[in-house]
Amino acid sequence: MFKEIAKGMAFTLKQMLSKPITLQWPEEQKPSPPRHRGRHILHRYDNGLEKCIGCELCAAACPVGCIYVGSAENDPAHPVSPGERYAERYEINLMRCIYCGYCAEACPTEAITLGPRYELADYRRERLVATKEDLLEAWPGFEKSLADNPRGAGADQREQAGRAPGVSPRVAWEDREGAVGQAGRGSPAAGQEGLAPHVPTVATPPKRNPG
Amino acid sequence: MTAAPPPGDGQVGLVIDGREVRVPKGTLLLDAASEVGIHIPIYCAHPKMDPVAVCRMCLVQVEKLPKLQPACATVVSEGMVVDTQSDATAKAREGMLEFLLLNHPLDCPVCDRGGECDLQDFAFRYGPDTSRFPITEKVHFDKAVPLSDKIELDQERCILCWRCVRYYDEITGEKEIVLQQRGVHTAVATFDGQPLRSDYQGNLPEICPVGALTHRQYRFKARPWDLIRTKGVCPECSYGCNVFVDSRDFEVKRFASRDNPMVDDMWLCDRGRYSATSWNSTSRLRRPLVRDAAGGVRDVGVADAVKEAARRLLAVSERGGGEVIGVLGSPDCTNEEAWLLQRLAREVLRTPHIDHQLAEMLRLGPAEHALGIAEIESCTAVVVLGPEPEVNAPVLTLRLHKAATKRGVAVHRVAANAEPRDITARVGDARLVGVVADETNRARAAAVASALAGGGTAVKRMTVTRGGNGRGVKDMGLLPDLAPGYRPAVPAGMGGRAILESATSGSIQALLLLHAGGVLAGLGALVESALRIAKVVVVIDTKPGVLADAATVLIPGHSLMEKQGSVTNLEGRVQRIRAALPPATSVPSELRVLSMLAGALGAEGWGSGDLMEVHRALAADVPAYAAAGNGGRARWEVAAA
Ligand code: SF4
Ligand code: SF4
Ligand code: SF4
Ligand code: SF4
Ligand code: FES
Repeated sequence: MFKEIAKGMAFTLKQMLSKPITLQWPEEQKPSPPRHRGRHILHRYDNGLEKCIGCELCAAACPVGCIYVGSAENDPAHPVSPGERYAERYEINLMRCIYCGYCAEACPTEAITLGPRYELADYRRERLVATKEDLLEAWPGFEKSLADNPRGAGADQREQAGRAPGVSPRVAWEDREGAVGQAGRGSPAAGQEGLAPHVPTVATPPKRNPG
Repeated sequence: MTAAPPPGDGQVGLVIDGREVRVPKGTLLLDAASEVGIHIPIYCAHPKMDPVAVCRMCLVQVEKLPKLQPACATVVSEGMVVDTQSDATAKAREGMLEFLLLNHPLDCPVCDRGGECDLQDFAFRYGPDTSRFPITEKVHFDKAVPLSDKIELDQERCILCWRCVRYYDEITGEKEIVLQQRGVHTAVATFDGQPLRSDYQGNLPEICPVGALTHRQYRFKARPWDLIRTKGVCPECSYGCNVFVDSRDFEVKRFASRDNPMVDDMWLCDRGRYSATSWNSTSRLRRPLVRDAAGGVRDVGVADAVKEAARRLLAVSERGGGEVIGVLGSPDCTNEEAWLLQRLAREVLRTPHIDHQLAEMLRLGPAEHALGIAEIESCTAVVVLGPEPEVNAPVLTLRLHKAATKRGVAVHRVAANAEPRDITARVGDARLVGVVADETNRARAAAVASALAGGGTAVKRMTVTRGGNGRGVKDMGLLPDLAPGYRPAVPAGMGGRAILESATSGSIQALLLLHAGGVLAGLGALVESALRIAKVVVVIDTKPGVLADAATVLIPGHSLMEKQGSVTNLEGRVQRIRAALPPATSVPSELRVLSMLAGALGAEGWGSGDLMEVHRALAADVPAYAAAGNGGRARWEVAAA
C-alpha cells in the first residue's frame, strides 16, 4: 500500500517539476495545424484580381446552405475578377457553418479555402455573418492599384486601409506571435508589413499529348 | 420480330427497348419513345419545329438497318425494333458528346445556363468519362457578343444545332440569324452584323439547348437552383401567356415560358418577358393615409382608414344618394377584385356609375370573344383589322404565322377601317372565318362579321382587350351598362370618362378608385380637376402618383405579383395567378379591404373577403366561370343553355 502511495506521489512530483502544458490564451496562441479548417478566406491572384467568379458552386455544395453569393458582370475596363463574372456579394453565416470544407472542394478556381482562424466567438450575431470584405484576402498592391484604377481590383479594401494589419483574415492571424500561416509560410516580406506574400495556387494545366 | 399485319386503324406497332408501342402512323420515333417514357437525348429537334436531324445526338439502333438512325427524323413503321440502349447507340452518344465538347469552353461556372443546360445534362448522363483532347488546345471564339440590346451570344458555347436559325425561319418568319462560314469556323451571326430587331428575341435563350444565347437582362442574376418558381400569367397584355415567375431574394429575376399550347404555344414576346424586373420597383405605397379638408395628412392604421373612407362616403351619399359616387376599377384588378368592387358599388354604395376604363364600350357581348386562340389554326381564313390587335397582343402574330405557314390558313391583314364588302370579296369562299380586332374597333369588326355571315360563312370574332385583365373585368361587370356575366345592369350608369367629367362639374362628389393609376395615367387636366373638385377620393393603389397625391383616403394595394386570384385572357380563358413576391405593404388584400369597407358602410353578410369565399360567390354568380375552373374558357353559350 505504501508502495502505491509513493508511486503516486512520485508521479505528482514529476509533473510538478515539468513544463506546464496550459496555454495562457488569448495572450498565448496555439498554432493551428496546417490543414486546419477554420474561418474561410477568399483568395486573390498575384495581380490583385479576385479568384472568386461568383459561380455559387460553393453555395450549392454547402450542406447547410450558409453561403450567399450575388454575382454581377465585370466591367472590362475595371475588372474585379478575371473573366465575365464576379461575386458582388459574398456572405457566410459562420454560426451555421459546420466547417466541412465542401465549399473549398467545390470551388472551380480555388478561391475559397478554410483558414487557420478558430476564434469565432462574438457578442453579436450580425457580426458572425462574414461578408466579402471580412473574408477577402488583402492585396499588397492595392494602394497603388487604386491610384491606377479606382474601381478595379482592391477597390473593396478602400474602407479597410485604416484597419491594417487586420486587413486580411489571414494576415490578422499570421501576424500574431507564434502563429503559423495556413500553408505554414513564414513571416511577411520586408516592406509589406502585416501582409503575407501571395502565392498563386492555380497553375496552367501542363500540356500533354493526346494519347 | 414478325409483327402481326397492320390493323387498318392508322396505328403502327413497334418495339422500343423491348416495349411494345402503338402510335399513329407518321409519328416520329422520338415521340413514340417518349410515349413509353424512354428518353432520347436531342439538341436540334424541338417540339415546335420541323425536324432537320443535323446534330446526330438522337441516333438509335434500328434492327435491320445498317446504320444508326436519327430518332428525331425517322418515321415509325410497322414492326420496327428499336434499341436506344445498345452498345452502338451508347458509343455514338459518347462520340457525339466528345465531339461537341471538343472546343467547348467548359465555363459552366460562369455560364448563365449552368444548371439547366442540355449539354451539361447529357454529358453527365451519356457522355464519356474523359476526353482524348487536351483542354489546352481548344479553338477559341468570341465571347459575350451582343446580338442586340437584349441577347448575348457566346460563340464558343454554340453547338450549331440550328434551332435559333430555324426559330426565325419557322416561328417568326423574320429570318434574322444565319450560320456563317464552314467547318470548325461555323458561327451563329446576324445578317450583315445588324442587331436583332425582332419583338420575340427573348425566346432564343430558351430554345438554345446550351448557354450560347443568353438574356442581357438576366445576365449573372441567379443560378437556376436559387430561383423560386411560381406559375403565373404574363400581366403585360390580355393574351394571357403562361409564365413561370422566377424570383430570388424577393425580386423577380425573369419570366420563363410555361408552355400552354392553347394560348402561347410556349412563345413570349419581349414586351411581356422583359417586363419581369419592373415588378421589383421599390417606389410603392406602403401605409394608409387620411387627408383632412385643410390638406393635413394623418398616418393611420388600415382599420381607421377604412372607417374614415366609409364615414366620408356615407356623408356624401346621405345628402345626394348613391348617384353621387363614381367607382373605377381597371384591367389591373383580378377577377375576384373586380367582382367584389362592382358588388360593393351596386349593392352597398348603390351607384350605377362604374367602369374600368375611359373609352366607352356599351352593349358588349360574349360573341366578341367567341374565337379561341388555338381555334385560329382551324379557321379557313382570318381577317385582322389594322395593326392594333398584334401590337396589343404581340404573341398573336406568332399564332397567325403558324396558322398561315403550317395549317394553310389564309391570313388577311387589312386596314382597321377596311370596307366590309372589300373584305368579303377578299376572303371569298370560306368555311370558318375568324375576325380579329382591337376593342377600340368593335363597331367595324361587328360590321365585317355580319357582312361575312351574310354571305353564309361561319364567323367567329376575337377582340383584343386592353390591359392585363381587360377581358376579366368586363366579364365581371365593371361596366356602366352590364352586370357580371353580360347581364344588363339596371339602371345603367355613366362610363369612365363621364364619371370624371361629372366629378369636374360637381354632380359626382366621391370617387372610389381601385388600381386605377394605370388607366388614369397621362390624362392630365381631366383627371387632375376631377380629383381636385371631388370631395371624397378613396384610392386603393400600388404606386405613388397623381391619384395617391389627391386621395383623401389612401389605402395601399398589392401588385399582381403579390396576390392570388384569377385573370381572364382575351379568349375568355380563366387562369389562376399566385403570389410570387411577398407583399410590399402590411395592409391586407384588396378583397379584405373591400369587405371591411362594405361592413363599415353597414352591409351585412360580406364575410372576411377570403379569396376562396369570394371566388365561390363569383362562380355562383357567373356560371360560365364555375364551368371554366382554372385554365378553361368561360363559354357563355354553353352556360346560357
Ligand atoms: S465549410 Fe461546409 S458548412 Fe461551412 S460554408 Fe463551407 S460548405 Fe458550408
Ligand atoms: S468561392 Fe469559388 S465556388 Fe464560391 S462563388 Fe466564388 S468561385 Fe464560385
Ligand atoms: S453551355 Fe452548358 S456546358 Fe457549356 S458552359 Fe454553359 S452550362 Fe456549361
Ligand atoms: S446559338 Fe444555340 S440555338 Fe443557335 S445554333 Fe448555337 S446552340 Fe443552337
Ligand atoms: S435531335 Fe435528332 S439529329 Fe439532332
